[in-house]
This record gives sequence, structure tokens and C-alpha cells, in this order.
Amino acid sequence: MRTTTNDIETIDRLLSGDNTALYELYDKYSGALFGVILRMCRDQNKAEDLLQETFIKIWKSIDGYDASKGRFYTWAYRIARNTTLNALRTKDKLIQTDDLSVYTNIKDDEEAPDYSELKGSIKSLEPHHQQAIALVYYSGYTHREAHEKMGVPLGTFKSYVRQALKQLRETYGTKLIYIWAVLELLA
Amino acid sequence: MMEKKKILEEGLLELYLTGELSKEEASMVEEALGQDTSLQEQFDALEADFERMGMEQAIVPPPAVKARIKDAVQPNLIRKTNWMPLSIAAGFALIFGLSSFWLYEKWQNAEGNLEMLQTQTYRLQRQVDNLESEFRLTSNRLESINNPDVIPLVLYGNQKAPNGKAVAYVNHKNQLVLVNPKGLPTLPSHQTYQMWSDVDGEMINMGTFPTDTELVSLKYIENAESLNITIEPAGGSDHPNVEQLVSYVTL
Repeated sequence: MRTTTNDIETIDRLLSGDNTALYELYDKYSGALFGVILRMCRDQNKAEDLLQETFIKIWKSIDGYDASKGRFYTWAYRIARNTTLNALRTKDKLIQTDDLSVYTNIKDDEEAPDYSELKGSIKSLEPHHQQAIALVYYSGYTHREAHEKMGVPLGTFKSYVRQALKQLRETYGTKLIYIWAVLELLA
Repeated sequence: MMEKKKILEEGLLELYLTGELSKEEASMVEEALGQDTSLQEQFDALEADFERMGMEQAIVPPPAVKARIKDAVQPNLIRKTNWMPLSIAAGFALIFGLSSFWLYEKWQNAEGNLEMLQTQTYRLQRQVDNLESEFRLTSNRLESINNPDVIPLVLYGNQKAPNGKAVAYVNHKNQLVLVNPKGLPTLPSHQTYQMWSDVDGEMINMGTFPTDTELVSLKYIENAESLNITIEPAGGSDHPNVEQLVSYVTL
């Protein structure tokens, strides 16, 4: 499944200078991207700034997006991730701790809500699968860095990620079957 | 082309998804995706799972962020949409301004030229008028002199007016007498030349004349035997002062 035609139409409008298209993309994807940014930087204010920066980058470089190469979300995710990693690197206050999280300040973090916590279907995964997903997609680690953090070989780590994604798909699939069944019963 | 097996075994699709591949690797994966539909389907499924997971992990950002993005994007939009027509309008205004100024300058020049030409024309007109009246006068004179009926008579001055000379033109047919006195010596202001006709020994007044006029018209007297010029007190006399006779000529 590629980028939906709906998204393509919205992106075309943005390319032709219609800024309301940007707000539509924001309404649809800002939550998912904010989830990524906030879990990576663990600082509400900074995450808000980075989300803003991410959407300004999307707005400025939308002509660089190629729908034939993948979904808009994937492209936007890469921008959000790189923007956040750059900000964390330049701040140079990055402290990596034993629990594999990225902190700006340990003390603040103890009192602040734990943004890194994942929710939904992921919670039904086995712990090492959850951790693999969290590291690569929500902590800003590369696969290479993440397997070292988990202390497993790279190949094993990659299969963790693949298995985790596969299991997630299965849970989504089951959910859809339940919904379909409920709808059938209601009908 | 990169092996499909290698891509799947090494989990390159996952790395490609997060943008962790080098440019070369990424373009190889892209090439493989373009050529292998089953591989493309796997990547599509991966992207779909990834997006679904993203949506599930979504955290709603505070509305202030959207407002800030709007603020950051909107002024640029205004600038984008408004500068173009504004600069075009400014360009046109400048062109109109310059051309108006140029036309005004031209107009002012034209006004000046017109005024000058009008003055010139007026002056020329007056010159033409003068020339015309002078020509008419001259041609009249010429006609009155250069006429087969006219007899020109030269009156040479005597010892009272040595080297003096006056020319009289007598037209018996039209009964006209004209005198050119320019050759006579000038007189003091209390004296004047006067011309007389001798008719049977009697001097009859023909009129006085100044010396600064080319042709003076005098009274024609019938049966005159001679014409005589005397010097008289200013205003002329009723009878000639014969001692003061300057010149005479017999008809």
C-alpha cells in the first residue's frame, strides 16, 4: 500500500502554495510525529519546538518528497527523527544511561512523566520485542547502536525488529477481524 | 541488482525505512524495489505497519504548536503572494511616472517653441506688412516717375547752393508735380525751400518742401514757363524772396 490518493492530492495542493494543505497534513500526522519526537528527547518544550521545526522543514522541502518511493509518513518520520537527533547532538548534553534512554537532565526526568512509555498493541509484544521497537523507532538509535545496547548480535536484533513488526501486523489483523465480526453481528 | 534474499536477510528494508542506509545502498534498494513486485509488496506492508504503529503511539501536541507553525508559514505566504503584484505595480508606476515626466518636459518644450514661433511669426508678419507698404509706396513713386507722360527736370543749384541739385517730375496729363530735394544742401530750422511757377512773369506758390524726403508732391500750376526754388523763412512766404533764388529750370 502506497501513500493514499488523499495524501497525494493534499501534497499537490501544498506544492501549488496552498498552506491549508500543510495544516491538514499536520492534523493527520502531528500526533504520530510528536510521539516519536517526545519519546526521543523527553522534554515537552523542546519536543514542541522540534515538532514545529519538523513541519517547517516539511513545508520548505515538500518538493523533495517522491510518492513513488514511499509513504508520506515514512518521509516525515525521517525528517522528525533527523531533526531531533541533530538538536540532541548540538546540545551536547546527551547522557545515555543504563536503561538505554536519552536524557537531557536525569533529575528533571525523574519528576517528569515518562514519555518513553509505549502504548497500545506494542504492550502485548514480548519485552525484548518491545525494547527493540522502542530503541530503533522511538529512541533514535540506529540498528547498529541498538543491538549493542541490547547486547545481542546485529542479525538477532534485526530479526527481533522484524518479528516484532510481524506480530504487530498480526494483532492489527486480529483486531480488524474482531471489528469485522462485531459489524457483521450488528448487521 | 541487489539480491532480494540479501535484502531480506540483512533487514535492509528496515534500515531503508528509517533512513539508515548509505546513498549507494539506498539507491540499490530502490532499484530492487522497482524491479521486484513481491519485494515492493513487503516494503509496502512494512511501511503500513510502521505507520499504523506510529498512529498508535501518537501523542497529541498542544494546539499552540499548530498556531506557531501557522504564524511561521503565513507571513511567508503573504510575502510570496503579495510582493509579485506589488513590484509589478511599482514598476508600472515608475514607468508611468518617468514617461509622464518625459511627456511633461516635451510639452513644456513644445509650449516654449510655440511661443517663440508665435513671436517670430508676429515679427515676420510686421516685417512683411512694412515691406508691403514700403513696396507699395516705392512702386507708386516709381509709377509716378517712370511714366511716359512724366518729364524729369534737373534743377542745379547756383552759388547759393553750390553742387546742390533737385529733380522735378512734371506730369502735364495728370497735373502732378513731384520733387526729389535730396540733393539740396540742408537748411537751418528757421528756413525752408519753396517752389514757385513762373506764369506770365508772376511767381505762383507751389509749396514748401523739406530736404529729408525723397519725393514731395507739390501743387501743379498750369501754363508755367519755369520752376524756381527759393530759400524762405520757415513756414514759407506768399511772395518769393527773389534774392534767395537757389535754382530754376525752364519748361
